[in-house]
Amino acid sequence: MDSEDNMDDFSYEYEYEYDDDDDDDDGNGVYNEDSNETTTIHRKKYIVLNKDDIQQRQEDDITKISSLLSITRVSATILLLHYKWSVNKLQDDWFADEEKVRTAAGLFEKPIVHYQSSNKVTCAICFEEYTRSRMPAAGCGHLFCVSCWNSYISTSIKDGSGCLMLRCPDPPCGATVGEDMINRLVSEDGKEKYSRYFIGSYVEGNQTMKWCPGAGCGYAVELAVDTESYDVSCNCTFSFCWNCTEDAHRPVDCSTVSKWTLKNKDESENVNWILANSKACPKCKRPIQKNQGCSHMTCRYPCKFQFCWLCLSDWSNHPTCNRYDGTGKNKEIERKRKMAKKLLDRYSHYYERWAANHSSRKKAIVDLNIMQTEHMENLSNKQCTPETQLTFITDAWLQIIECRRVLKWTYAYGYYLPEDEDVKRQLFEFLQGQAESGLERLHECAEKDLQVYLNAEHIKGFDAFRIKLAGLTRVTKDYFENLVQALENGLSDVDTDRWWSCTHCTYFNQMSAADCKMCILPRIIPQ
Amino acid sequence: MANSNLPRRIIKETQRLLSEPAPGISASPSEENMRYFNVMILGPSQSPYEGGVFKLELFLPEEYPMAAPKLGRICLDILKDKWSPALQIRTVLLSIQALLSAPNPDDPLSENIAKHWKANETEAVETAKEWTHLYASGE
Ligand SMILES: [Zn+2]
Ligand SMILES: [Zn+2]
Ligand SMILES: [Zn+2]
Ligand SMILES: [Zn+2]
Ligand SMILES: [Zn+2]
Ligand SMILES: [Zn+2]
Ligand SMILES: [Zn+2]
Repeated sequence: MDSEDNMDDFSYEYEYEYDDDDDDDDGNGVYNEDSNETTTIHRKKYIVLNKDDIQQRQEDDITKISSLLSITRVSATILLLHYKWSVNKLQDDWFADEEKVRTAAGLFEKPIVHYQSSNKVTCAICFEEYTRSRMPAAGCGHLFCVSCWNSYISTSIKDGSGCLMLRCPDPPCGATVGEDMINRLVSEDGKEKYSRYFIGSYVEGNQTMKWCPGAGCGYAVELAVDTESYDVSCNCTFSFCWNCTEDAHRPVDCSTVSKWTLKNKDESENVNWILANSKACPKCKRPIQKNQGCSHMTCRYPCKFQFCWLCLSDWSNHPTCNRYDGTGKNKEIERKRKMAKKLLDRYSHYYERWAANHSSRKKAIVDLNIMQTEHMENLSNKQCTPETQLTFITDAWLQIIECRRVLKWTYAYGYYLPEDEDVKRQLFEFLQGQAESGLERLHECAEKDLQVYLNAEHIKGFDAFRIKLAGLTRVTKDYFENLVQALENGLSDVDTDRWWSCTHCTYFNQMSAADCKMCILPRIIPQ
Repeated sequence: MANSNLPRRIIKETQRLLSEPAPGISASPSEENMRYFNVMILGPSQSPYEGGVFKLELFLPEEYPMAAPKLGRICLDILKDKWSPALQIRTVLLSIQALLSAPNPDDPLSENIAKHWKANETEAVETAKEWTHLYASGE
């Protein structure tokens, strides 16, 4: 066994880089798809776009259409909004039948109304007279006063994104009110709102683009066309599934997530079933569930009323209870009750652990935040280490947050794993158990071991702590990445030939590793 | 009083409704609130509503004419998304009159009438005639 070779493969280095620079615009979305063993493939899975990026793309499309169709930018914008920013469809239709496109989009080539030569015109909305030159009109030429235009457009903007395709107030006319009119006639507030709808129209019209569902987030995420993975991480730090927009949920798929979410909602009904099948104490009315065989029930303290489970009468003046109700029926009810209880117990097992990891993850996010805002500077001073060299702590917390997420979903995975697939289930539970204990180790190190260094100055051993935490972070990361892959493949390619369990610490190692990744002790093969 | 700062448009519309009423339609503002109109529309001749008078109440909300007039349970597209400030009370009432001469079961004037209408057109015509007789003939 060549153990030296392996030590190279896994040396505890604390400077390994986290491929995650957020500020770089085009670098966003470069995702470490597969950091498995020696091959590291960098593939662009998605791009995070901010407001400016989207506006730039819109500008480009407008410029393109305006020069291709030889029309003004305002006209090009009207057409693109009507075509939901589908440049190709617009071009095809335009060159096939320009007149038809113009009518549908409300883009007039020249005005259709001409007023008498008189200098004054009555506004058809407020009935006041105005000097003609001071009355704007859309492409159709229908004149309205500035104040009525302002109310008309503002009302429409208040009503929602329909303002993007606002038509002339003259009922049968249909001329679209262009962006130039909006900019000329509406307050700053209205313009700002309009601009939000305008940008939104680009994202919503685009099949490969979605808004990040993170609270208050203004980024959009564009997915690469050929990707099979939907988990994306927005620049606002929110991770979500691009496909179903739920929280990121690798290694389980979208349908499992929706089943599980529905189940969690439905389960309240299951609880209701239990309630319906428990009985209220005839005296104090608190619900009582039967958990022993005999029918002699004693209510909880302080009531302590003794009664018969079957007929609810006082136990003391109640020798028998089988007068007319056939016992067979009672047995059937009892059997159903037991069955429901068993199903509920199974579900509770997975749900509780799913929920525990969910809240543990939330707590880790809070802890990371406290660490960054409150402790980093202090720690840097106390340990005489520049903050730039303390990133291994942040990395550890980010890893914990990610692993909690994965671990959480493995419980939904486990719940839906067919019960009769014994080998798979055993393997799954083993892998999950390893993942859990590995993560606990990392979490504890980041949480508790660190405390010492936060409280005292210049303690020896900070370097050792660094090596330990960075090492744990890396091992845990590797382990979870392998776990995610194994589960996504339905545990099909995980055969026990590819793994060995450490006899010293039980950690589950890949076959290629000669030493245990967790305790660095060499593998002992039972003779 | 609410009437003192009535927009010029509403005053002008009201004046015109009173001085040049559309045939078969009368609309007069209430004395306490000039935004509140009592409307009567004659059932159009050769329609199931012939011989009846339909009484409606029309209210102009604060946002009028940017928002449509309010007209109880009447279903008219121009009272909803098709409203335009270039339309007027007169246009709305003419549309209702037109609706009475050719009821459209998909755009129900009254849910109840429409239900009958779809189920059995001839029977509905009878019902409408009866209703006109019962409820709409002048008091
Ligand atoms: Zn027009
Ligand atoms: Zn005006
Ligand atoms: Zn976001
Ligand atoms: Zn999903
Ligand atoms: Zn009791
Ligand atoms: Zn009994
Ligand atoms: Zn070990």
